[in-house]
Amino acid sequence: MTPNTDDPLQSPQESDSESISVPKIRQPRKSPLSSVTSLPYRRSNASLSTLFASTTSLPTQHNAAFPSESGTVTPTAGVVNGSVFSPGGSTAIRSPSPLPSGQPGTSGETRDIIVRAFAPHVSILASQDTEELIRHKGIHGGLLELLRPFGEHVPGKVTIRDSSGVSRSWEDFGIRFVGVKDGLENPRITDRRSTDSTANLQRNGQRASMLEYKPARLRSGGDVPQIEELVDRHLTFAEEQSGPVEADYITQKDAQTLDPNATSPFYTLYLRRLLSGLPLVPSETISHPVASVIAISSRSPSPIEELRNLFTSSNQGEHRLPQWVHNEFLRYYVLVHDEDYDDITKSMNLFDQMKRHFGLHCHLLRLRSTQCVPSDDGSVKLPHCEWISAAEELAEIVRRETNEDDEDLTPCIFESDANAVRAFVREMVTQSIVPSMERASATWNDQVASRRRGLSGRFMSLSKRFTAFGGRNSSVPSLGASISNYDSLQGFYRPDAPEAVMRKLADYAMMLRDFKLAQSTYEILCQDFKNDKAWRYYAAANEMAAVSSLLAISGLSAKVRVEAVDQYLETAYYSYITRVGAPYNALRTLVLGIELLKLRGGSALDDAARWSNKIIDDRIIGPVGHVLMMERVASCYTERQAVSGVGTGDRRRRSGFWNMLATDAWLRLEKTGQAEKCLSEATRLYGFDDGDVRFDEMASFISALQEAVKANRHGPQHFDGADLLGDGDDDQHTLVEPLQEESEQLGPRSPAMGHRKSMSTAGPMGQPLPSVQTVFDDPLGAVPSAYGDAGGAYENMTATPMSPHAVDMPASMPVVDRRDPRDDGFE
Amino acid sequence: MSYYFTIIGTRDNPLFELDFGTSKIGGDGIARFRDEAKHMNQFIVHAALDMVEEAQWATKELYLRRVDTFQNNHIHCFLTGGNVKFMLLMNPDPAATTYSAYQTTSPPSRPATARQSTTMLAANPTSQQTEDAVRQFMFEVYESWVKCIMNPFYQVNQVVTSPIFRGRVATAAKKYL
Repeated sequence: MTPNTDDPLQSPQESDSESISVPKIRQPRKSPLSSVTSLPYRRSNASLSTLFASTTSLPTQHNAAFPSESGTVTPTAGVVNGSVFSPGGSTAIRSPSPLPSGQPGTSGETRDIIVRAFAPHVSILASQDTEELIRHKGIHGGLLELLRPFGEHVPGKVTIRDSSGVSRSWEDFGIRFVGVKDGLENPRITDRRSTDSTANLQRNGQRASMLEYKPARLRSGGDVPQIEELVDRHLTFAEEQSGPVEADYITQKDAQTLDPNATSPFYTLYLRRLLSGLPLVPSETISHPVASVIAISSRSPSPIEELRNLFTSSNQGEHRLPQWVHNEFLRYYVLVHDEDYDDITKSMNLFDQMKRHFGLHCHLLRLRSTQCVPSDDGSVKLPHCEWISAAEELAEIVRRETNEDDEDLTPCIFESDANAVRAFVREMVTQSIVPSMERASATWNDQVASRRRGLSGRFMSLSKRFTAFGGRNSSVPSLGASISNYDSLQGFYRPDAPEAVMRKLADYAMMLRDFKLAQSTYEILCQDFKNDKAWRYYAAANEMAAVSSLLAISGLSAKVRVEAVDQYLETAYYSYITRVGAPYNALRTLVLGIELLKLRGGSALDDAARWSNKIIDDRIIGPVGHVLMMERVASCYTERQAVSGVGTGDRRRRSGFWNMLATDAWLRLEKTGQAEKCLSEATRLYGFDDGDVRFDEMASFISALQEAVKANRHGPQHFDGADLLGDGDDDQHTLVEPLQEESEQLGPRSPAMGHRKSMSTAGPMGQPLPSVQTVFDDPLGAVPSAYGDAGGAYENMTATPMSPHAVDMPASMPVVDRRDPRDDGFE
Repeated sequence: MSYYFTIIGTRDNPLFELDFGTSKIGGDGIARFRDEAKHMNQFIVHAALDMVEEAQWATKELYLRRVDTFQNNHIHCFLTGGNVKFMLLMNPDPAATTYSAYQTTSPPSRPATARQSTTMLAANPTSQQTEDAVRQFMFEVYESWVKCIMNPFYQVNQVVTSPIFRGRVATAAKKYL
């Protein structure tokens, strides 16, 4: 085992679990010993804070493409392409092209995310010497890591012809570069024996282990607990940043109140991670590769031979995808030329030869092979990827946390390299990938799908079902199954079956943003899959039918919407949950539906809120998402406008109610900053100042929440301050025991600690202890009585000695009951 | 099975509140809300007023049937001519209401209560039986309410403290719910 830089006290077993099986990341920190040794967690080194910059930067700073702004969070600037993963970061990556970027934080952003989520996937298959060349540049992930960030946004406009022959240009077109077998494995370790050793190497020798830099497993998403964990990390970081810095906190609050409708950056992150790293499954072909980049380098002694080998391995060798993947996708041949050591004329000759052999889908990529350091002329940081899976980002966070020195780990590349890669991506997308996709979808549309449309198509599907020797007796299903192309034993269609081709067509249409074609195709597919009882396919087709019809039709009438979209969503949700048991897909379905419905405004907002409610009630989401969904419901109701003239029809009260619920729930998760935002919104909506006699309990509960937020404003760390130091002075405590704080701060996440704390604080307060331990008994219920007359205390700016208790109770309680199921039930 | 009944004035102000449980199928008529529900019920009913304002224009009846639900709370509403709202919140199993807490303990189905709840009104809040019972209850309360506010000293939006009215509501509750 390589020396463990992170935590020498851990057992090797624990440490290996830390890098991958993500919810266990905090496991070691439970023990007081390790919480001391794992101090780097809190060190806000530059590289770490850039990771979190996306969610900590103010929502109004969406245009902040450069690090000076993200410096508000951490003054450690010097980071080019500062904010990384979400809104802010997206502009950073887009900045090369003049983009009429949508208004920051408004609804256009979510639509943008959803549309961009369905991007063509391009797998990368590079020869050994190419990978070595790239690694030599200091990019450990090889060609994939180099290309990946550049694929997410193709510079310039990309023009796509849709099925009716109309061309449309898109500025934000992108592709996803993926490894050949990405998305096939579960992001968690399932087989420990085989992965133990590599995982260990992985984590401890990040920079040393060259061969398997980041396992493909990490690149596949679709794991809700990991997304939860990641967003929780971001939230915690935001809390820590906003807590002690009063000025920053205040500005943040002001920015919030300016625009109550702004989407929470954490929700955006959640949505993006939900749609990142779509797993490779038979039932949806969006994550199947539409093309494959086959790369060799100028170092190769027998380049053409090498290309042939790679090509065959992608067809039948080790790089062959499972048999349900359509393998006739485009192969794109790339020759990576080493600018520093190799002869360009030789490479040109070779390239000409490649062109003769393989046709037009070739590119000569000229890269320098020397390592670039930040001090070099014309060095740029390799941009960060926006669309990485939660597991990958978590692994990155862990890597940076455990990194001892303060340097930024993002590799640098030469400006010339970056330009070469950009040009390569653009040429490949506009000249090869998009045209070939257009061609493929036109062919499929003609040959397969159009036969099914119209009257004769209906007859065909009928005659397929009621065949000659079956008649229309009740045994039709079994009979139909025997005729259908669906292999119900293995659970997939062969890729050349008409259904599979049509699914492929519809997905291509989604990727090419021809939503009308996609919608009509999915509609046909729903019927077919239902007849074949291919439930997973059926659910997926319904999901996409809902999404595509919401994207396609602008003026969807309420009636059509209720009949069609609701039906699709309902069916997809039901099938995912009950028939196939895929909670991730169910969640994704509903979240997509909610977001797209929400964009429509009007009565669709009620539908969106209803679906959000379903997510919350059915508990298909983790604790963080739970609160984020509550915020989402609140914002749906906030957006609902009153019918003009009548003066009713708005949802002010409901919005206030959901904001209040979200406040309460954030406090339970110890996210005071978020709670404060919701609370200020709730109080604004309730407007307790005016009017006659109001509901007393409501008023006192709100003021209790205000107390709790106020007391906790300096971060959640001071609960035990009262215990340990005997006074509630936060500042003094912060100065005296900064280290103590850290371990305490992490403490309550474990049930045991939570209990201890709540009891230790509750005891002196005279709080009846049983209320802490009863699951259904809410400790907050006691708060209003305790604070019955505390309404006026809101102006009082010092935290009362009792207030930590008020917060501690709700905070520690749900930890107790949300923690234990997390280990078994949810995952 | 617990109920929370409140009368809300024209300015969203509560005029009267009463908690009670079912008296049918061996119930003792005592509400079994959790402590939290003390304020949460008010919040939920208050939030339901948005739906009342929408529903009141869609029907010519004064009884608006079920207007809203939150988790397993169902809210029925009766609107008087003076724009005073009678709101009845019913909750078949208060212990199962999570409010803002996140719980992964169990899926929503609860076999223990499912057995007995088939006969309970709130188990099936849209059923004809429930609506009828609530309607009868509402009209009986309305009758008492009209008699109560006939008091010459009563002003609009004044809180009703009369023990007789309270007793009558409780009787109606016992009779129908």
